[in-house]
Amino acid sequence: MAKQLPIAWRWVIVPVVALPLGWLLFTGLGRDPRLIPSPLVGQPLPVLSGTTLDGAPFTTASLAGRPALINVWASWCAPCVTEHPLLLDVARSHGDELLLVGLVYHDTPDAARAFRTEYGDGGWPDLTDPSDRNALELGVTGPPETFFVDAAGVVRYRHVGPLSAEVLDAQLRALGVGS
Amino acid sequence: MRRLLTTVAAVALLALGALVALQLTRPSLPSSPDEQAAQLAAELRCPDCQALSVAESRTAAAEAIRQEIAEQLAAGRTPDEVRDHFVARYGKWILLQPADPLIWLLPVAALLLGAAVFGWWLRSSLRGRGTADLERAVSDEERRRVRDELEALDG
Repeated sequence: MAKQLPIAWRWVIVPVVALPLGWLLFTGLGRDPRLIPSPLVGQPLPVLSGTTLDGAPFTTASLAGRPALINVWASWCAPCVTEHPLLLDVARSHGDELLLVGLVYHDTPDAARAFRTEYGDGGWPDLTDPSDRNALELGVTGPPETFFVDAAGVVRYRHVGPLSAEVLDAQLRALGVGS
Repeated sequence: MRRLLTTVAAVALLALGALVALQLTRPSLPSSPDEQAAQLAAELRCPDCQALSVAESRTAAAEAIRQEIAEQLAAGRTPDEVRDHFVARYGKWILLQPADPLIWLLPVAALLLGAAVFGWWLRSSLRGRGTADLERAVSDEERRRVRDELEALDG
């Protein structure tokens, strides 16, 4: 028996090896592999600029002083239809406190305008992005994505996928909107 | 004459070694901007694909990134700067190969650890089954019986 592992060691090795490994695998179960944390959170919003769907020049450099919500969307994006009423609500009830900006992703201006006509035009500027430059600046992986920007112009949160009323309320409150 | 030949052979071998070494280190420093752009595109993940590089994908996003790489290299940025540009916007996720050297060492470490544990287990289990256990398993009573029966056979 002297050549075998002392009993005490067996009791140490199991927790030392198995428990961290088990914990790692178990917590991995609850994580969404599509959810990638944005390095932009905590950083100033990159300057997005271009022409809006209405043909006017627009740049986010003019946002300063007000919180903003940058929503990346496309007319071909089904979840964007789902979250659209929530954005219309925000524009209606908090339009004076924050600025909504749409970023049209991989879409034609005509199709995007048709989307606004069909599902409701909230009156916020929708930036077109024919060269993808703005989407690349934001590190967009696919619509819908929403960036919550505070009054100082710093990105506070990035939401991937359709917004829910809960996420919207919590993040707007964190920005000091609607309190 | 023989010494001269040996010297020539040694020099030739050295030159060949230097050439091989040069050739091996060259791919990490592609010379032309096109080569640099192609290598960067192969290192970056296409944002709207599954496990495809920007170089392999035909999506609009991959096309836009290839365009951006070419423009930034043309503007005089180094490949490292271009890579950092995308990491700052997409995170390390955009890199197809992990940048952390620890990640590459982990499988090797795990393999070595496994081999060590296996070797240790093999040794201890061989020893455990060694003569000590066998000797203990055969009692004096049994030894006496074997001896008696062997003697009976002889007799």
